[in-house]
Amino acid sequence: MKRIEVKLSLPVVAPLLDLMKASSDVLEAQIAAPITLDDIDADFREDWRAELLGGQQEELHALMGLFNSDFFINGVVAFDEDNAEIIVRACSALRLRLRRHDLDILEDEQLESGGVDIERLPAALQKPFMCYVFLGTIQELIIQHLDTAILRGPAGESGPAEDDDEGAGDFDLDKD
Amino acid sequence: MSPPVLTTARRAEPLLAGAGARPGLAPDEVALPESAFAVQGPWRVVVLNDPVNSMGYVVLVFRKVFGFAEPRARRHMLEVHEQGRSVMWSGLREQAELYAFALQQWHLTAVLETDEAH
Repeated sequence: MKRIEVKLSLPVVAPLLDLMKASSDVLEAQIAAPITLDDIDADFREDWRAELLGGQQEELHALMGLFNSDFFINGVVAFDEDNAEIIVRACSALRLRLRRHDLDILEDEQLESGGVDIERLPAALQKPFMCYVFLGTIQELIIQHLDTAILRGPAGESGPAEDDDEGAGDFDLDKD
Repeated sequence: MSPPVLTTARRAEPLLAGAGARPGLAPDEVALPESAFAVQGPWRVVVLNDPVNSMGYVVLVFRKVFGFAEPRARRHMLEVHEQGRSVMWSGLREQAELYAFALQQWHLTAVLETDEAH
């Protein structure tokens, strides 16, 4: 099974976890992306919304579960075929929440271009922005190395059969 | 592609089984009997731009949900990015709902449109 391990800088990432947890808690009861269900039959809207929310909750629990006691010992998080899809989606949900709630004063163009100098941001925006970038980096790593697994789907699900790439390697995001 | 599972919402088993699809046609070119449109009208699955989800993420989602090859997924992604929206698929309402639901599960802004509503 293809697996990547990422070594994170504890002094950098640990302070972000409180904000990630707080945002995740809000998303227990709120769908991250703006959705319009006007064209859906009224009878199905609540079920539709509830099912989306249930999936989102599962994703966020999986993401926050990466930062367990072992993480605080070795600073390593691991992604594989079993959790790649759910973690990528969780990152998307949290980034949407951060953008709408914590980074709403930034222009879309700034975020899309990556042209934000964190040092010049107001102090209150620096942590949310670091979270936003961190989650985007996790997504990029997973998509770069586990996209085939995501496209194929969980074990047992039909899909294109491609060769496993054993031992994808380790990554070090430790900026210390 | 694994269609989303709506445990309590409307199900469309015949569509999930690929009814109406012709071999060789891509997912957004599914052929449907005219009588079906006469009753329900064609429904479009439209993805709207958002400044958060990365291009690579959106391409991955389009490949996963619709089974597109990468060039086609990338073309739709660029259309979303540059024009603000892309019509991903059109056809019967039940299947359109399943696609829209799947896209929303991936946190994309997906809406359904039909000529009747506009």
